[in-house]
This record gives sequence, C-alpha cells and structure tokens, in this order.
Amino acid sequence: MSNVNAVTFTIVVVLFLVVTLTGFAAARWRRAEDMLHLNEWGLGGRSFGTFVSWFLLGGDLYTAYTFIAVPAAVFGAGAVTGFFAVAYTIIVFPLALIFLPRLWSIARTHHYVTPADFIRGRYGSRGLALAIAFTGILALMPYIALQLVGIQAVLTVMGVGTTSGNALIKDLPLFIAFLVLAIFTFVSGLRAPALIAFIKDTLVYVMIIVAVLYLPTRVGGWGHIFAAGEAHLKAINPTTGKPNGVFIPTSANSQLAFSTLALGSALALMVYPHAVTGVLSTKRRDIIKRNMALLPLYSIMLAFIALLGYVAVADKVTAANVKKANNAQLAVPYLFQHLFPSWFAGIAFAAIIIGALVPAAIMAIAAANLFTRNIFKEFFKPGADPRLETRVSQWVSLIVKVGALLFAVSLPKTFSINLQLLGGIWILQTFPSIVFGLFTRWFHRWALLAGWLAGMLYGTIAAYNVSTPTTSHWAGSVNTVWGHTYYIGLTAIILNIAVSAVLTLVLRVARVPAGTDETLPRQYTADPVDAPAPVPAAAVLGSEVRRGD
Amino acid sequence: MTQPSGTPNTPGRTRSPVAAHPVTSAIIAILVLASIFFALYVPLYASATPKVGDFPFFYFYLLIYMPVLGVVMWIVITLQRRLRPGSPGPGAEGPAGAGHGEVAR
Repeated sequence: MSNVNAVTFTIVVVLFLVVTLTGFAAARWRRAEDMLHLNEWGLGGRSFGTFVSWFLLGGDLYTAYTFIAVPAAVFGAGAVTGFFAVAYTIIVFPLALIFLPRLWSIARTHHYVTPADFIRGRYGSRGLALAIAFTGILALMPYIALQLVGIQAVLTVMGVGTTSGNALIKDLPLFIAFLVLAIFTFVSGLRAPALIAFIKDTLVYVMIIVAVLYLPTRVGGWGHIFAAGEAHLKAINPTTGKPNGVFIPTSANSQLAFSTLALGSALALMVYPHAVTGVLSTKRRDIIKRNMALLPLYSIMLAFIALLGYVAVADKVTAANVKKANNAQLAVPYLFQHLFPSWFAGIAFAAIIIGALVPAAIMAIAAANLFTRNIFKEFFKPGADPRLETRVSQWVSLIVKVGALLFAVSLPKTFSINLQLLGGIWILQTFPSIVFGLFTRWFHRWALLAGWLAGMLYGTIAAYNVSTPTTSHWAGSVNTVWGHTYYIGLTAIILNIAVSAVLTLVLRVARVPAGTDETLPRQYTADPVDAPAPVPAAAVLGSEVRRGD
Repeated sequence: MTQPSGTPNTPGRTRSPVAAHPVTSAIIAILVLASIFFALYVPLYASATPKVGDFPFFYFYLLIYMPVLGVVMWIVITLQRRLRPGSPGPGAEGPAGAGHGEVAR
C-alpha cells in the first residue's frame, strides 16, 4: 500500500492547502461587526442570498455519503439499498417546499437558531426541546463520522494511510485533515463551509462531468456497464446463497423497501439540524424556495455518481481491487485511481475530501448550536450572553468532531452507511414535533415526547436486530413487518405518530396543561425582508436574560 | 398539511390567499403531490424496457426526473408568488386563465 503516486499526492495537498487558507480567510468574508454572536458564527449572519445558499445547501446536503457510500451500496447491492438515494433526493425538494419556508419564517421572527429553539417556543416545553436537541446531536455524530470515513477511503487508496498497527499513526493523515477542519470551523463558523463550498462544488462538478463522459468509454460504454452491473447483482453470493442484490426492483417487497427508504430519508433530511442550519442562514424566504428548484441540478450529479458503482463493477481491475480490500467504500476511489491520469485522480480525490469537510463543518456547527442553546443555556446557564453562547458553541464543535473521529477510526468501515441510516431513524423521530408543530398545536407536548421515546426505542432495537448471514447486528435499515419490507425509520415514525395522537387525546381529556405557545399563525408565513437583519446583540441579551430568570 | 402555500392568516385580508385563488392553489397542490407520487410509486417505472439509449428504463426515468422536477418546482414557486397579497394582478386571474398563463411565464 505504500505506492503513493507523487503527482496525485501533490495535487491533493495543494488543493487542501488552498481550502485551509480559504477556511481561515472566511472569517473576514462579509465581516460582521461582532463575530461573537451565534447569529454570526452559527448562521453566517443569516445573510446568504440565492447564489451562496445554492452552493452552501448543495455542499451541505451532498456529502461524502453521496460520493462514497451511495456508489459503494450500488456496487455491492444495486438499486434498493443504493439507488433509492436518487428517488430520495427527488422527493426531498417538493417536501421541503411544503415545510421549510414555514420553519424559516418562524425562526426569523423569533430569532431561533436551532430546531429545538422552535420546539421550546412552540410548545413551551424544555423537556421536549431537550429531547429534540439530544436526538439531533446523537444523529449528527455518525453522520460526521461518515464524512471522515469517506476521507479515509480516499486516503487508503492513495496509499498514504500506513498499515501500522498503531491507530494514531495509521490514521495520521486523517487526523491532520480533521485538525484543520476543526480549527477553521472554530475560527470562522458557518462562513468557512459557505466559502469552501464554492471550491468544493466546482471541483465536484468537474470531477463528475469528466467521469461521466470519459469513464464509460474506457470500460466499454453504458450498455456494457449496465450489463456487468446486472450480471454481478444476479450472481449468487456463496456466503448468503442469495443474489448479490437487486438490479431493478420488480418484486413488491423490494419496491416497498425502495420507496419507504426514499420517503423516510427525505423526511429525515428536512429535520436534520445541519439542513436546518443551512436553511436558516438564508436572507429571505424566497431564497429557500428558489433553491428547491435549483438544487435538483445537483441531484442529476448524484444519480451519475451512484451509477459509478456499476462502472466500478464493469472495470475488472477496480472490482478485483475492491474485492481484495473487502471494502466496497473503496470502489469509487479505486476506479478513479485506475482509470484517470494521476493528475486528474488528484483533483477527483481532493474533490471528495473537500466534499466531506464542508458538510462535516456544518454538522459540527449545528450540533454545537443545539448543545449551547438547548442544553447549556437552558439547563446550566440561563443568563448566558451571546458572547458566552458563541464561545461555548466553538468549543463544543471541537468536542463533537473528536467524538465523530473516534466513531470513524474505531468502527468497521463497512457499517458507515448503515450507521448513518441509524442516525436517520433517530432524527426521523423528531419529525412529528417539528414539522407537525409548523402547522398545528393539536398535539400535546408530553404526547409528542412519549411518541418520540417509543419511536427511538423501537427504531434502535429493530435496527439492532437486522442480521444477514455475514453480519449479526446492524446489518441494514429495512426489516419485515407483517410480511412486508419497510424502512425501519418509517415504521418507527408511524408508531411515534400513533402514540402521540392517542396520548394527546388522553392528556386533553385529563386537561393536562399544554404549555404556552409564543408563536402566532401569521408568523409562519412572514417574510421580514426589511427587518433589521440580525438581532441587535443588546436586545437579545436583555430579553433573554429576563426569560431565563 | 398538503397545501404547500400554507398561508391561512394573512393580516389585513379577510380571505386567505388560498381561498382567493382556489384554482392556482389546487394546481400548486397537484404539482407538488404529483412530483412526490411519481418518484415513490416504483411499479410505474421498475422495468428494464423500453431501453433509452443504453439505459434501462428504471435508471433513465430517475435521471430524467431531475431536470423535469427543477422545472416543475419553478412553476410552483412562480404560482405561489401570485398567491401572495400585493403580487401583481390578482384581478387578471380568471379561474380559467389561472392554469396556462403562469406556466408560460
């Protein structure tokens, strides 16, 4: 593994340095008067227009999961567990158009920074807000870890990870990449990933356009690629005695799994705190909507990246390399290494690494904001001023990343996609509280809390029990309920909603206090364009100290 | 819940924008629901044929869905803008003209 290609390596290092400098320079970009305010550090001053938001949201939503895990899943198992991601990124836009503008308006009106802030204001419940914040942080950890696993996959193929038994030395390059990420996030906040997203997206677009036009010509054209993919998936796996995967989901169960995975993942994405962070950083309500029409451009790219899984199957050398390493995550990096000239492989590898850094930074910021606003300030220091809030967020963003790093180096890599799907199951359980709350106050806060708990427990246990002949636990994210195959997240959320609805009826009959609602119906459609953009620090300080006491 | 414009209480207006523009609102709802349905209803496109170029139909369908979705979303947003109070010409919107007028924009 020590055959490092000098050209590839140099290009990756140079591009990485450019990104590092950009990350630090971002602190001066659209400079705010007072960076020590969570509106600034955590939401980029809530000032991003259509253009910046398109890059930021694109950089936020299309992660290393997109570049590494999706083609890996297509490579390994085909349409159902891999290509569903394409259907998922289709329906996420119409769904987001229904929900996110309302979330933006209410958050702008009340200066909410996190989804749990909204829960606190809407239901007047610290407990429910805590549950939402806790779930958010819990779900983001494996997601950040997945980004690091993506970086690791690239580094492994580049040959820079050594085979040393010492974990610290083995993953040294990963630690360096991670350290740089941690520091520039600390310094520049959301401005860093927003600015780096420009570089990321440019590189990714170049990479994917070249890959789609050039690679098929090297392996015999799309016809041959699909034929190879189909043959591979239909072949019987000697260990399991079943076909490797599904090329086209024709059976009722594979179709159900495909569409419930797509629907569940799309619903989950909308309540992922990092997606909310991206949305809240926009300047106007219209900008979110406009992006829902522009972002499908990215999804076309995702579809082609997913198909690279089949290209890797069709390329015999790549397929053999992946088999030897016994790690499907390496499919795309090996493919690039084998078929691209070494200088372009460098660009492509850099694109993937940077593509992982941008969302990882946003996720760490989102998790840090959740901790600061809904745990630290709520339960430990109610009088915290914006300066202290920002300081705490900065440090927590570091801690979150260390946690994710431990995830990434200690867990088997092949689980990364399933681990992230487990995070998806968890975060989905916050959907009823957040999204139903955008439309109605009918649900009782304690009923929602009980529903959340039921969904979390069921989802985790069900995912734990998924096994294959090769893996005893956590082997996937679909299971069979009453003879049909569904995405666990979706069955869990149905249980969640049922519990919430039944208990709401009970609690209403019992006349249990429903908590105060500080929001007004018209605020959900408000578009305070001309409002003084970020809150004057003094006003926030005053009002929030009062509320805290 | 299924009404994407979701503007029930606009200050200074007795009728909500949705009630004021039933046809436009219905078109918006249909477009949004349709764009979700046609992606989730897999039996519709889960077949290898007809092949488009070298692409099995299943893969071609999902690929071509993206640009179509972008256009549909753009139409929805344009229509929604018409629902907002103060947007140009609520009077120009006859129930019959509400459909194709906006699409052409």
